[in-house]
Amino acid sequence: MTRRKIFQSVLQYAGLIGVLAFLVLTFSLSTENFFQTQTLVTIANSNPDLIFISVGMTLVLIVGGIDLSVGSLLALGSAVIGVLMVRHQWPVYAAVPVCCLVTAACGLLNGFLSVWFAIPSFIVTLGMLEMARGATKVVTDSQTMYIGSRVEGFGEPISVVSLSPAFLVALGVVILGQFLLTQTVFGRYCVAIGTNREAVRMSGIRTKPVIITAFAISGFLCGLASLSQTSRLSSADPNAAIGLELSAIAACVIGGTSLMGGRGSVVASFFGVLIIAVLQSGLAQLGVEDAIKQIVTGGVIILAVLFDAVRQKFGKVN
Amino acid sequence: MRSFFCLLALPLLLTGCASKSETPTGGQAALESDRPKVALIMKSLANEFFSTMADGANSHHQEHAEQYDLIVNGIKDERDLSRQVGLVDDMVAAGVDAIVIAPADSKALVPSLRKAKEKGIVVVNIDNRLDRDVLQEENVSIPFVGPDNQAGAKKVGDFLATRLKEGDKVAILEGIRTSFNGQQRLAGFNQAMEQAGVDVVSSQSAEWEMSKANTIAASMLSEHPDIKAILAANDSMALGAIAAVKAAGRSDDILIVGFDNISAVQAAIREGKVLATADQYGDQLAVFGIETALQLIEDPSATADDVETPVDLVTAESLAESGTQE
Repeated sequence: MTRRKIFQSVLQYAGLIGVLAFLVLTFSLSTENFFQTQTLVTIANSNPDLIFISVGMTLVLIVGGIDLSVGSLLALGSAVIGVLMVRHQWPVYAAVPVCCLVTAACGLLNGFLSVWFAIPSFIVTLGMLEMARGATKVVTDSQTMYIGSRVEGFGEPISVVSLSPAFLVALGVVILGQFLLTQTVFGRYCVAIGTNREAVRMSGIRTKPVIITAFAISGFLCGLASLSQTSRLSSADPNAAIGLELSAIAACVIGGTSLMGGRGSVVASFFGVLIIAVLQSGLAQLGVEDAIKQIVTGGVIILAVLFDAVRQKFGKVN
Repeated sequence: MRSFFCLLALPLLLTGCASKSETPTGGQAALESDRPKVALIMKSLANEFFSTMADGANSHHQEHAEQYDLIVNGIKDERDLSRQVGLVDDMVAAGVDAIVIAPADSKALVPSLRKAKEKGIVVVNIDNRLDRDVLQEENVSIPFVGPDNQAGAKKVGDFLATRLKEGDKVAILEGIRTSFNGQQRLAGFNQAMEQAGVDVVSSQSAEWEMSKANTIAASMLSEHPDIKAILAANDSMALGAIAAVKAAGRSDDILIVGFDNISAVQAAIREGKVLATADQYGDQLAVFGIETALQLIEDPSATADDVETPVDLVTAESLAESGTQE
């Protein structure tokens, strides 16, 4: 990477890092104990699920799709883990692959249906949102399953770095995702398809497998998100992650990913997740009214996007 | 669009069901049948508490199948008020004799329940008490069959207080602020803590949800590292708090209490991760309501009084006792 490129990428994330720094500063000044390692580590360790999902969501948004089923897939995955481990006494290393297989298969189906029959992915994944949630309730009998310490390893902080394996794996997935997007043929195709699918098809590239792969990756990452949430809470909750798709979309959009496709960055979405997470924890630490929390959260989402839009415009003028 | 289709389909389904058993002419049909028809309208059946309640009602119905017919309906999301109002109207149209309802909102359902009553349908309120002022304003009396949540929460709080000293600090995870149960449980917790001279340093709503409770409890622990206990207004939130306490490395010195006695929390109580919860016999709540409704159908002149159902404290000791009894 040349010096200019490094400078460019710093500039690209400067806005997001600025917002994040502003939030951390605000909360540090307004609460007693926000700015300390323990708090920041706790925030990191509570959010790998949203990180996994936002990485998948970024890919799907870039190819010009949307995946509304992620919250339900997370719940379904964690139900699979819960049922296999509690009712059938499976060990965690056997239950997790099944979980990821199930969610990846659902993602694959999402992609296949929307691409092959040319149905907007909004509708297909909306259907999947309902079906996966229903399946979750059937699998668990609508009961919260308490798994206990057998599943906790992945979410438990490692003593040396005090970060959980879940967070470290999520970081790895962010780096891998960014690499996939910017350094591989697949990534280039994703961006190209999101920009102008017809043109890509005309130039002799098969677009369908690429889009389907993006959805399958999103589904697979939902499985990892299930594992990290289940291990953090030691239980599988059939009502888990209702509305999480909106948080994930918000994180991506805060990071500058376009809902129209063709533009986006995995690392930027990661910063988007951090902004949402810091906001959530900081507001809880302040202990403000619920209604105020909602107003502030919504406001920050809009401000962050506004900030990005202004920067884009400014950048173009130059 | 989706809900539009559901609305279209529902009356069709209902008349379909009715025509199988008897003539599909609404209110008249029920009179012709020798068995009264009872509609049970629940909150979200995805919530374990309500699905247990529905299971209890179904097994009671199976045992007494010759006495009454039962239709169970729930809404998808606990906050989907308009759907629940729609269900009440649907049930009225289907010609049921009684509606037993766990209202999603203590105020908004009163008008449609009043209309049901005006059509001669017996209405019994379970789980979440309808607002007294609104009932009075609408000039309607609906009996409430259910537990005293405030007294239950007070029991849990009192038990926790025996493990705390005066001046200790605690935090509360509240339910959804607008729900009557949530308010009652909060009141009970606060009352118990006040009596014990314990200081509530933070009290925030986690909207009954495990993951949200986890985030909020973690923040509470960061901001107030000196708290000695977390009181959660339901067990899902208590489970979320366990994880937060563990992440903060405070499992040994922070006490957690919950409410509802769901099966997942029993394991946590046995392991000592949760100190206590309250059992309001969720599986029997709907049954109590149905029995009251059947009495009122049989004897319409009877005055509709509130019925208070039991709430008991559940601790490791009480679980061990009931375990040995089995």
